Amino acid sequence: MPEPQPEEPHVSGGQRSAEDGAIASTGLDGTMDLATTEGETLEKGLGNADAGGPADKARSLWSDAWRDLRRNPVFIISALVILFLVVISLWPSLIASGNPLTCDLAKAQQGSQPGHPFGFDGQGCDVYTRTVYGARISISVGVCATLGVALLGSLLGGLAGFFGGISDSFLSRITDVFFAIPVVLGGLVLLSVVTSNSVWPVIGFMVLLGWPQISRIARGSVITAKQNDYVQAARALGASNSRMLLRHITPNAVAPVIVVATIALGTYIALEATLSYLGVGLKPPSVSWGIDISAASPYIRNAPHALLWPSGALAITVLAFIMLGDAVRDALDPKLR
Amino acid sequence: MRGATHARWAAGAVAVALAATGCGGGDSGGSSGGGDSGAVLSSSWGDPQNPLEPANTNEVQGGKVLDMIFRGLKRYNAKTGAAEDMLAEKIETTDSQNFTITVKDGWTFSNGEKVTAKSFVDAWNYGASLKNNQKNAYFFEYIQGYDKVHPSDGSKQTADTLSGLKVVDDRTFTVALTQKFSTFPDTLGYNAYVPLPQSFFTDHKAWLAKPVGNGPYAVDSYTKGSQLSVRKWDGYPGEDKAQNGGVDLKVYTDNNTAYTDLLAGNLDLVDDVPAAQLKNVQADLGDRYINTPAGIIQTLSFPFYDKAWNKPGSEKVREGLSRAIDRDQITDTIFQKTRTPATDWTSPVLGEDGGYKEGLCGDACEYDADAAKKLVKEGGGLPGGQVKITYNADTGSHKQWVDAVCNSINNALDNDQACVGNPVGTFADYRNQITERKMSGPFRAGWQMDYPLIQNFLQPLYYTNASSNDGKWSNADFDKLVNEANAEEDTAKAVQKFQQAEEVVRDNMAAIPLWYQNGSAGYSQRLSNVSLNPFSVPVYDQIKVS
Repeated sequence: MPEPQPEEPHVSGGQRSAEDGAIASTGLDGTMDLATTEGETLEKGLGNADAGGPADKARSLWSDAWRDLRRNPVFIISALVILFLVVISLWPSLIASGNPLTCDLAKAQQGSQPGHPFGFDGQGCDVYTRTVYGARISISVGVCATLGVALLGSLLGGLAGFFGGISDSFLSRITDVFFAIPVVLGGLVLLSVVTSNSVWPVIGFMVLLGWPQISRIARGSVITAKQNDYVQAARALGASNSRMLLRHITPNAVAPVIVVATIALGTYIALEATLSYLGVGLKPPSVSWGIDISAASPYIRNAPHALLWPSGALAITVLAFIMLGDAVRDALDPKLR
Repeated sequence: MRGATHARWAAGAVAVALAATGCGGGDSGGSSGGGDSGAVLSSSWGDPQNPLEPANTNEVQGGKVLDMIFRGLKRYNAKTGAAEDMLAEKIETTDSQNFTITVKDGWTFSNGEKVTAKSFVDAWNYGASLKNNQKNAYFFEYIQGYDKVHPSDGSKQTADTLSGLKVVDDRTFTVALTQKFSTFPDTLGYNAYVPLPQSFFTDHKAWLAKPVGNGPYAVDSYTKGSQLSVRKWDGYPGEDKAQNGGVDLKVYTDNNTAYTDLLAGNLDLVDDVPAAQLKNVQADLGDRYINTPAGIIQTLSFPFYDKAWNKPGSEKVREGLSRAIDRDQITDTIFQKTRTPATDWTSPVLGEDGGYKEGLCGDACEYDADAAKKLVKEGGGLPGGQVKITYNADTGSHKQWVDAVCNSINNALDNDQACVGNPVGTFADYRNQITERKMSGPFRAGWQMDYPLIQNFLQPLYYTNASSNDGKWSNADFDKLVNEANAEEDTAKAVQKFQQAEEVVRDNMAAIPLWYQNGSAGYSQRLSNVSLNPFSVPVYDQIKVS
């Protein structure tokens, strides 16, 4: 990547290292590295755009990243898989004509046959139809939870990082508290009292326990950005806080959040399946891979296909999102390659 | 599942420790031919709902333990189910209403205390008294004075003891009933009627922590959620001495886990083979799998305390639901024919003379989707538009059949949201929710008989305010017929009356009969002489361990 010279990143500063140290000590050093280096890279790209004017626009971080991504087979494959999943979760009837709730006990545990490529589960439901329809809950839970986590986390973390002081310390301690809650245990306790059978309690729970991760990333990334000369310059010129935040800091601090959120999306999908498997997430008659995996597991010896198809779909989906996240990270942060 | 797995490992560790100590003791005691009488076996189990007070235990898991540590006046033959004298030397009556009971000499509790007539009378008085709030109090209802110690109208009790119970001497007491009850002696093998030692009354807390009884086993330790250990009581005076050193009852929250543990050699006996494994059980266990008829019927009960299920016309909805369940297909597919579709509310083990009447349910138990749709519609539709079948998920493969019943109802009613299952994690929790009247729709009610009489399949379940009348159904005609049947001295006529009462249950569809259950069990190579009694409980004391 061509190194634009005009603005050398000013990375050091006692305060900054102290912040890094504090964050690293809480066990997130991997992602924090990402966040800090991200700050530099971003600053280069966008700083350049600011300074160099329209002629250099092609050199911005985002267009570089996009050019990298387009050449990355990992990105292409995972993006296609995800596109496919999104389409079938919006219109499952495109590829599955049956009703996932129609089950005929007479066909229980039978293998694949014409019209029913994946066979039938222990209750005689069509595994193919249920696997296709199961994508909807997984994708919607994953996407909504990620959006919620990203918005709440970056808002709280960003403000704390920007303003610092007592509110920052306070928020950091709250983050510590939420980090200390084991996710599955928290899910068993909180969700077992929920009687509603919609996706919202599950999403709410994930946002509740997931925002601290993003909040830390956003906070570190905002602190990095706020040290930069152009922010100092804006401040010196009398820019208001909101102008600095919106115009200078947010665009430079958002990349690490995007990367972590994309990777987290896959883990939220897996978490939804886990909670549903344990019987506290979605409950029948909702169609979810976790529910199907749980229902099929006693029959593994006689009808393994009923277990393997939803498990396979879950694995592929999670893998696709994690691969996508990896590709995006590589593109946004070439130094890590 | 994490929680369950941890519990299993914990239980495993405890079991290893106990097995080590238990076997050590057995070796020094010497072994007899055919089996080591000191060796301990492990068996699958679930936590009981309540502490093990005999008159407060009306569920299967607690009953299993009471059956090991207590012996009553009568005992049901492990093969035929016939009531035979155990502690009773004789029970005499001339009018089927006043009984003189003589207790055998030479019986003691495991703490050395003698079993006397007073042990029975005190225990029964305790069980009947309102202030002790015992679930089986109702079993003493026919004894004179019950209305004083347990008034049904909510007023304060005016007596502490039943006036109908009188201790004559050390070994004799008399029972006066409020009406004729010809089969009363045959009911005396039930847990609620066992004798209790004085320590039960003097130091109740200590007794609950470690119950003391007069059976072939004595409780060694109990850790809730993990394991209850009973050990052979060497001083047991009865004929049916334990043939092994004891039993470790291990708590499982999933019968699939128990079955896997059995195959892996971590468990000796499983008395609840999971439905999903019924296809494999012959290949897995061969002749170490037993499947015998048992006095168990599965039904769906309804919350009659909920207006939505107890209004004019709801009997049509209930009948409609009954006709929407394809029992044949579910017993064939889910249970691999180890259950038989029910056509009445009793059990084939009673025999025709005992009151079992095939086809008593008639059309109401026949699958017919069109009739089901019509009946539900006539009855005003499903309350709330959807039925939720509540069940406990830890035993009996209930999830599989509830899902299948729901699918059957959905298919019959052409509505894929008509029925959903509502699992509750453990049996104890499930029983609590039922006794706290928290049900909002049909719920699973399996009935394992207490004694092999048709009376036991009807009265405790459907009589007004009876001990196991979980749905709180109440019908004056039914109550009247049951009272008349109990008063009948001729058995055949009594059975006829009971069947008339059963027809009242049918006409109101107070509960939907599903299927008669067999007892099934699988055991490890260490065990021999394993059998299930007609109640489907393993005959633990006869099991030999090598």
